[in-house]
Amino acid sequence: MAVTHSTDNDYLLPCGRGLEQVWERLDDPDVDRHEASCPHCAAARESLLTLRTATRELIDEPDPPPPDLFGRIMSAVRADVRRGNTFTLDTPHPGAIQVSEQAVAVVLRFAADTVDGVRARSCRVRSSEPGPEGDQVIAVDMTIAVRSDAHSIDTLVAAVRERARAAATARVGVTLGRLDVTVVDLFEADR
Amino acid sequence: MTTTSPAPEAALDDATLAGRARDGDVRAYEQLVLRYQGPMFRLAARMLADRAEAEDVTQEVFLKAWRTITHLNDDAAFAGWLYRMTTNRCLNVLRARRVPADVDPDTTASTRTDTRPEHATEVSSQMAALTDALQQLTPEQRACWLLREVHGRSYDEIAEIVGANSTAVRGRIARARAQLAEVMKPWR
Repeated sequence: MAVTHSTDNDYLLPCGRGLEQVWERLDDPDVDRHEASCPHCAAARESLLTLRTATRELIDEPDPPPPDLFGRIMSAVRADVRRGNTFTLDTPHPGAIQVSEQAVAVVLRFAADTVDGVRARSCRVRSSEPGPEGDQVIAVDMTIAVRSDAHSIDTLVAAVRERARAAATARVGVTLGRLDVTVVDLFEADR
Repeated sequence: MTTTSPAPEAALDDATLAGRARDGDVRAYEQLVLRYQGPMFRLAARMLADRAEAEDVTQEVFLKAWRTITHLNDDAAFAGWLYRMTTNRCLNVLRARRVPADVDPDTTASTRTDTRPEHATEVSSQMAALTDALQQLTPEQRACWLLREVHGRSYDEIAEIVGANSTAVRGRIARARAQLAEVMKPWR
């Protein structure tokens, strides 16, 4: 297959056809009269088909990453965990308990996930002014994706608020004050 | 905290996992690593023809992604972002490889066959030929061709990944394809 460099995007065969044109027609059963009889096009087709076969082998080859790679990556990531801010929990006992905003975010995201048709995405937690009884109050910004065939967004957001509020009290021991929920995406039922 | 199933994150889409990872959720990020370590490792291994270096590149890319995910504006673009980091890192590694001054780089580009990816299933002589031929392309052509033909990225995505316009990307892929087809001629 003699190819000549012609333009940036194509290589002309001696018959004047471009290699890209042959490539694009590789699966086209209706080869035109020129291509049906041209030896240059025929040779180019064969070479491209061979390349494609070898490429598919390359794709299908499992060639898994080394078994310890995942562990190495995650060890490095865990060593570099972004802990973020913490706030103090009220306890009836002496001493104070610090809880990270990230850990609270995990609890709240999980609570939102339990609502059918909702997936929590980001969840930013920050402490706000103490409540009237001295309890720790948090303010939260949460983004969620909702299933396209799920209930109305109003219903879903109300359910998210309810679950998040309950989880904050029962599982963390803080009061959920302000909760801003933003719907940022839809997802399909089967995903 | 406890969850209702061993890894509920496994069912989540990339954008959801990326959004959580940005908030510092390690478990969400773990799922993204599980999902993409294979493709990134394979891309690096074919780019560099060196599995040990590919392993290092993959590890560096995932750690850097974890550290900088707060800069990722579009959660849905996570995969493309990883491909960009991996490709750039590979191109940098290749640039850093020293070519002996008294050797013609055109004739030495394919001499690293001792370190090319070796795998038990790489038994087909066609595939071995293709693997070697890939190392004779320029690194930029190789990156574009691999991203398109092996990783199925669109021309626009590749343009974004390699920082060129899509016309240049099409040109590189066309040149790569012509060169590879020429090398595959004896196997047809």
